[in-house]
Amino acid sequence: MSITAPEPKANMGQPIPRYDAAAKVTGKAQYAADVPLVNPAYACLVTSSIAKGRIDGFDMTAAKQVRGVIDIVTHENAEQLKEAKLFSNGGYAGTTIQPLKSADVAHTGQIVAVVVAETFEAAQQAAYAMKVNYTAAMPSATFDSAGTTSAPAKGQLAQFKEDPKVGDFAKAFNDAEIKVSAAYETPPQHHNPMELFATSCVWLGDSLTIYEPSQYVYGLKNGVAEQLGIDADKVRVINAYVGGAFGSKGSMTPRTAIIASIARRLGRPVKLVATRAQGFTIATFRAETRHEIQIGARRDGHLTALRHESWEVSSRPDPYAVGGTKTTTRLYACPNIESRVSIVRADRNTPGFMRSPPEVPYMFALESAMDELAVALNMDPVELRRVNDTAKEPISGKPYTSRSLMACYDQGARAFEWEKRSPQPKSMTEGDWLIGYGCATSCYPTQMAPAAARVRLQRDGRVRVEIAGQEIGNGAYTVIGQAAAEKLGVPVEKVSVFIGDSDLPPAPVAGGSNSTASTCSTVIKVCEQVRQKLFEALTSNESLTNEAKGTVGMGQTPSTPSASNDRPLDLERAFDALGVSVVEEYGEWKPEGAPMDSFQAMYKGQVRMVGGSEMKDKIAYAFGAEFVEVRVNKWTHEIRVPRLVGAFAAGHIMNPRTARSQLMGGLIWGMSSALHEATELDERYARYVNDNLADYLVPVNADVSDVDVILVAEQDDHINPAGVKGIGELGNVGTNAAVCNAIFHATGQRLRKLPVRLEKLEI
Amino acid sequence: MTNQKDFPAGPGFNRRTFIGAAAGTAVAPIVAKAAGASGGPAATSDPSLPVDVSLDINSATRSLRIDARTTLLDALREHTGLTGSKKGCDHGQCGACTVLINGRRVLSCLTLAVVAQGQRIVTIEGLAEDGELHPMQQAFVDQDAFQCGYCTPGQIMSGIACVREGHAGSDDAIREYMSGNICRCAAYPNIVAAVRQAARAMSDEQKG
Amino acid sequence: MRPFVYQRASDAPSAIQNLATATAANNVLTEASAQPLAGGTTLIDLMKLDVMRPKAVVDINPLAASWSNVSLDDDNLRLGALARMSDVAANPEIQQHYPVIADTLKLAASPQLRNMASLGGNVLQRTRCSYFRDVSYHNCNKRNPGSGCAALEGFNRSHAVLGTSEQCIATYPGDFAQALMALDATVEITGRSGVRKIRFSDLHKRPGESPQAETTLSPGELISAFLIPGPWPRSVYLKVRDRQSYEFALASAAVALDLQDEVMRDARIALGGVAAVPWRAREAEAILKGQKFDDALIDRAADAAFADARPHRHNVFKVALGKRVISRALHQAATMEI
Repeated sequence: MSITAPEPKANMGQPIPRYDAAAKVTGKAQYAADVPLVNPAYACLVTSSIAKGRIDGFDMTAAKQVRGVIDIVTHENAEQLKEAKLFSNGGYAGTTIQPLKSADVAHTGQIVAVVVAETFEAAQQAAYAMKVNYTAAMPSATFDSAGTTSAPAKGQLAQFKEDPKVGDFAKAFNDAEIKVSAAYETPPQHHNPMELFATSCVWLGDSLTIYEPSQYVYGLKNGVAEQLGIDADKVRVINAYVGGAFGSKGSMTPRTAIIASIARRLGRPVKLVATRAQGFTIATFRAETRHEIQIGARRDGHLTALRHESWEVSSRPDPYAVGGTKTTTRLYACPNIESRVSIVRADRNTPGFMRSPPEVPYMFALESAMDELAVALNMDPVELRRVNDTAKEPISGKPYTSRSLMACYDQGARAFEWEKRSPQPKSMTEGDWLIGYGCATSCYPTQMAPAAARVRLQRDGRVRVEIAGQEIGNGAYTVIGQAAAEKLGVPVEKVSVFIGDSDLPPAPVAGGSNSTASTCSTVIKVCEQVRQKLFEALTSNESLTNEAKGTVGMGQTPSTPSASNDRPLDLERAFDALGVSVVEEYGEWKPEGAPMDSFQAMYKGQVRMVGGSEMKDKIAYAFGAEFVEVRVNKWTHEIRVPRLVGAFAAGHIMNPRTARSQLMGGLIWGMSSALHEATELDERYARYVNDNLADYLVPVNADVSDVDVILVAEQDDHINPAGVKGIGELGNVGTNAAVCNAIFHATGQRLRKLPVRLEKLEI
Repeated sequence: MTNQKDFPAGPGFNRRTFIGAAAGTAVAPIVAKAAGASGGPAATSDPSLPVDVSLDINSATRSLRIDARTTLLDALREHTGLTGSKKGCDHGQCGACTVLINGRRVLSCLTLAVVAQGQRIVTIEGLAEDGELHPMQQAFVDQDAFQCGYCTPGQIMSGIACVREGHAGSDDAIREYMSGNICRCAAYPNIVAAVRQAARAMSDEQKG
Repeated sequence: MRPFVYQRASDAPSAIQNLATATAANNVLTEASAQPLAGGTTLIDLMKLDVMRPKAVVDINPLAASWSNVSLDDDNLRLGALARMSDVAANPEIQQHYPVIADTLKLAASPQLRNMASLGGNVLQRTRCSYFRDVSYHNCNKRNPGSGCAALEGFNRSHAVLGTSEQCIATYPGDFAQALMALDATVEITGRSGVRKIRFSDLHKRPGESPQAETTLSPGELISAFLIPGPWPRSVYLKVRDRQSYEFALASAAVALDLQDEVMRDARIALGGVAAVPWRAREAEAILKGQKFDDALIDRAADAAFADARPHRHNVFKVALGKRVISRALHQAATMEI
């Protein structure tokens, strides 16, 4: 055991090394663009330099003269693909803006042509040689731009169901002893996974194989089939490894069907690796948001009134919103609550989900306001959370299935040495540096979705698990292998895991932190089927019945949340009784409360996610408490974060090693979001200016020092068979506010607009 | 690969004395030949014709006929099947394409393949010997120094160079000298732990 | 990237011949039909972006045998132009006698890029202006003379406040050049007619009416060495940026002091991240020279350095930041142990 492989506490699995570690450190792990193709043609995208208007025509003379150019595809000659419905409205796509369909341009960086050539070099040269003539119209870039429209999210978007409300906010706020009113803003951000948006398409007869990094191979398979008008069974999506995604690879982008169509037309494999800059506009992003928060409280800190109103930017045709009020209105005890979310339409590409989509912007606002309230009350911010902690969410009174928020605060505060904080702003310094401590709550809904798996057990104890989950760095291979090994009582080394292939049994999108809960619950169920089969073989032999119950452990139903079983199968006796050498089972699992059509939808690549605040008689969230030390140079105003501490409780932890890493990455993501990440807009053109990794800043190694992740033991028997709450998005939720709260403590200046850059400090 | 002599020290100098050339630069001119129909004469008149390039990669010679514009990264990935080196930005902004040339870590995305001729190129595929992981690879496994794994080959190549340059003496030095490799999953603290572990192992190996 | 003829130089005369023959244009850096290639960290990057479009690329790395020497005699440091940034940064004697040079090299770019980039190429690296680097913006006077400047009214947080013009506000991005400016370096230039020497401060041209012309080098000329008088043991480079590492300066100062009994017998200040070219703050130096080290005086000098600053919408902060950077760098230099 070590820092990077922590000792498991109660209800935690073993911190075994990653299943895919050897492949990843030797360069053998094959990502989409690594797959060798026979005689590929290389595609390069040409994207629009205007945000709004029409294409008048193309001058392709120079492009066509480039040696090696095979084809140039534009709206004038492209196959007319079928329309794609928005992911968040029950479809597959991250945008309904379909390029190469007409001369219309809806946002900058929209694909306007695809050049295909014998080599990557020729394709790139010809793409630059393409001249596109436009008639440009004045675009509306963002909030406050002329020509934007604003309307309530409710009613526009199937996924946005409610503006939560309870009691009488106006009266309660009016009567409140202490009031806080503040406005907050978050910027556009881009996921920027290290792996570029690559797509290779290979046709064999009428069957299509797609190599593309995807968080949802079933969604992509079905979406592309729909756009091409072919049977989904003819489409296979393969990605054994995904080089980071963070939401950007969850929904289908227009490029896939376009490349598939071109490959079909050329009768040859086509490979596209979009540039980093193109990735800013051919996929989704986290849109900018605005928030107004009003909190009324008693002098003892109890909240009496809370109002959270927000605005989010989306594209002209697509009503996308993350809508985080479902979380912020339910976090603390408060009898009078009101909320509203509106969508502002601008001439931009359609935004989408990015790591902790609703929670990052909305919790930044709420948790900053809570800190402002603590200051107004002259109360310790940890104690303010304790006063308002609740076992039932305040909107409809449903109980949290488990809630270890204050345990997280207490363990985190101890590790951070929070008691050393002197409450006065600007009261802690060291040399040229002002020091500030800040904290904030993290939370993320526990979500699950139906999945299917196939498990094969051999007499020699070897196991093969097949499930079309995705390895995006979440440790999917590892935890799926562990779940099967634990349930079947075999060493984990004997388990082979196959994921990232749409020919395998379906699993949901690796998003919303549902992956481990869904895939492990499913694998556990199918392993139980395997055990059942062996058990029945033994029980059919009368003389073995009693002994069998002991050896295969089937007496334990339902399974324990930890999925562990201290009574291993006596495999050889069971197999001998059955008279075979292999048992293979296919099974489907769906979470409690999943709609009737869940399984049918699952095979169509549509997710029926349940959990969070949308369960019938309960509410399920994972919680955490995050503590940040910032240092602000009093001369140069440089801001550094030498210390991050996060304590998290999320039910059963499958693997403390991978869990710690993911939460650590989340904490650093949150710090990055608070201090660095903003996609800068040139509002004149509605264009992203810093569309590269030198200008879109994410932390480098030197920006990170001590990061301490505390896994708080928690058991929750009311969520899913694996007992797992998702953690992929939990880590970066509270950090934005915690950083700004710490900056306030260091400098006395409250920063309500992210990111915090040195020029915003007036000290 | 783990041989220290592959890693030249930077040039020192003596007062009043000129000393030798900076390390890592080839002295023998090798001119890329435009490959005609017969592989023929060095015709440099048509720059869009492919050229013959010979590369020394992981101690094996690879003869390629490629566009003169091909970067070393694309030559590795698209023309030799060595896809361990990754394209993350293609502009020297992320470090995912890091390889060793004559023992020095460089970015293969900003290196033309023709320029890399006659030099010793080592990629992630050239580290493990007889199936045994290099101490840096083992340390990345032990310390869980990656999540999605995409930046990992570049991190490992960079980590080896970081140790050999003598920049792994403290955690702060490792952080600074590993800052040319972006990890979006943000495994940074674990990467520091891995480089620290490998530095010890590599120094033991030297002693042994 | 457009196709080019790749030529590998065997010696300096042939390299210069190749460059000069292929280069007809008067615009040396942008439209030159032949470009020298050393580390390639600027050239290959900008060729991929279609910003630079040479018809021939002359690989001058073989000249490293004679052009990468580093030597020191009584009053001159000589740095061969093909020495690599990392090698010079790691040199213990330079760290001791010219710490500002080691600092500027060490704090630039990343270890990999410093291993690749030559000193000569580094001082010629081109601006990071987003509008310059993206050819889909037509309005860039540097790329398309007379087309306008997209940055003037655009997103200009990283842009310059000193030495700009109405035609161009792009920032000179380098660090090492600030050390050369501060220390009154000389550039040795090798061309067809032999070797000539100019002051480093005469190498870069302010944008003025012709931002496309960035240097005073003639077609075919190569930087072969830098000569730096010294030593300057009391010298530092302070670089302020958002990230801790691997980022261009928001504001930086290369400072060298000759301090005797708290009197600044000489003070040198060059500024990075804030100016259109490598920038010497001579007005500030004049205020300090011969005076006792004093906080009020330093504030006055810092004010003088930015008296002519012309900020734009997003880079107003650089004026105040630049002044504080001067002040902190001077304090660091004054208190350093030598």
